Amino acid sequence: MIEVAGLRKKYGKLEALKSISFNVKEGSIFGFIGRNGAGKTTTMNILTGLLKFDDGKIYIKGRDFLKNKRESLKLIGYLPESPSFYNYLTSYEYLNFIGEITGCNKKNLHKTIVELLEKVRITKHSKRRIGTYSRGMKQRLALAVAIMNNPEILFLDEPASALDPEGRMEMLDLIEELKNEKITIFLSTHILNDAERVCDRICIIDEGKIILTESLSNLHKTYIQPIFDIEFDDDPKDKIKSLEKLDWIDTTKIDGHRLSIYVRDIDYAKKEIMKEISKLDVGVISYQIRKSNLEDIFMRMVGKNELI
Amino acid sequence: MNSFKSYLKKEAIEALRTNKYLILSVGTVFWALLNPLMLKLLPIIMEKYIPAELSEIFSYFTRDTAFQNFLSDLFEMGTLFIAFSLMGLISSEVYGKKLAFPYSRGADPAGIVLAKYIHYAITISILILIAFLTNYFYINSLFSGGILSVEIVLKSALLYIFYYCTFLSILMFFSSIFRRSLIAGISSLVLGYSLSIFNQFKTIRVYFPNYLLYKAADILFVFDSSLIKTIIISFYLIILLIMLTIYRMKKIDIA
Repeated sequence: MIEVAGLRKKYGKLEALKSISFNVKEGSIFGFIGRNGAGKTTTMNILTGLLKFDDGKIYIKGRDFLKNKRESLKLIGYLPESPSFYNYLTSYEYLNFIGEITGCNKKNLHKTIVELLEKVRITKHSKRRIGTYSRGMKQRLALAVAIMNNPEILFLDEPASALDPEGRMEMLDLIEELKNEKITIFLSTHILNDAERVCDRICIIDEGKIILTESLSNLHKTYIQPIFDIEFDDDPKDKIKSLEKLDWIDTTKIDGHRLSIYVRDIDYAKKEIMKEISKLDVGVISYQIRKSNLEDIFMRMVGKNELI
Repeated sequence: MNSFKSYLKKEAIEALRTNKYLILSVGTVFWALLNPLMLKLLPIIMEKYIPAELSEIFSYFTRDTAFQNFLSDLFEMGTLFIAFSLMGLISSEVYGKKLAFPYSRGADPAGIVLAKYIHYAITISILILIAFLTNYFYINSLFSGGILSVEIVLKSALLYIFYYCTFLSILMFFSSIFRRSLIAGISSLVLGYSLSIFNQFKTIRVYFPNYLLYKAADILFVFDSSLIKTIIISFYLIILLIMLTIYRMKKIDIA
């Protein structure tokens, strides 16, 4: 559905995207994750025609995006991270305005708008000017704008970042609903639990480079790595150097009195880890084995990228 | 065409709800009303405070000179009001990222630019026409003498309308190249005012749009053949600047 090859973007001397390539399958949810400033929003703005790029190729449904920009944009809906509206318009008027731009059928436009307002739960406020809306309400309206006229591809940039926990869950439900309608979704988020819940494929971007693109199931298979979480009486920081030298330990992470140990060989680790911990001469409060989640995988991949 | 229609409607709602119609009316129609009243009343109000010679000057105003005085004031104040109220026509939309949704839904930059230009060109034209007729009504009521007629007033109004359509295209072009609205407004004002200097040079003044204003005040010969060159140049300038604005809006980074 979307194919990106060797995409480069520079802001002056800063290279925001360093020849990134990926593809998104039709009807899937593609999770695009990375730290602030990694290049997520730049990529999205390029793919939605808002930014120019310096080099590379983009194909939407097999057609060159640059050569068929207007036609390609008709297939796309975009929810930016900080949506900006004409604040003097009401949400009804704004949706009507966008509907006319996208060439919605005039006879059905009123019905479409009423349904959209209902879907994002702002019907009650549809006659109020957008300037009086809260950030969460604006985010809901932005989603209504993005899904107007049934786009085939939906770009969502941090869709839940401005929402309260209830709104966030609703947003995720809505994304799953859209997936069932066979809409291809390109989701940028830093809430990794959200990505893990709804995405089929994950792409990690860091410092303008793609460091991993994998299906979520493959990601778990490949990078699944049990973690030993050990809580100590005291700060173990000065005493863990001996652990880091062991070849069956991949890496360690300290968070206060808690030490997380990422291991290479789980079976060997199970036998040996307590022996090594006892050598540290620090009181142990708790000990547990946990399966790594997307956040752990992300931290490891980004951490490795820093070492490159 | 979809973008043009939807932006035309949006511009009308915006102008109404953000009081742009009101501001533009103050800058044009209000002066048309105030100018003759002030000319008539000022010497009476200030009788005790201004020298007798100056007071006498006011009494020499005929309908023609009162009209010319209005034209001069309208150029100074009207241009100021138009520049400052419309300076963000494009820059505030780009800078405020208001175009992200329309552009990502395939809006046509040409439709947006044309809708904005045509909406405000029509608005300004109507307001100038109202201002000139209002001014004529008050001048006829308060002053006597001179050859001023409705025909002359309408001819002058037409030249002012054409000048402000040219000025609007300059303002819109500057608004598309500068991200800060204020810079666009000030640049347009400086250019608009400074071009009037050329009206003092007989051989070259016909090549500048401000000659339209000079002829509008030439009550005896408002329309003559010397205007042909100015009208053609101004017309081409409008087309060129609108095309450049559209080109700029096609190339600009919206996000």
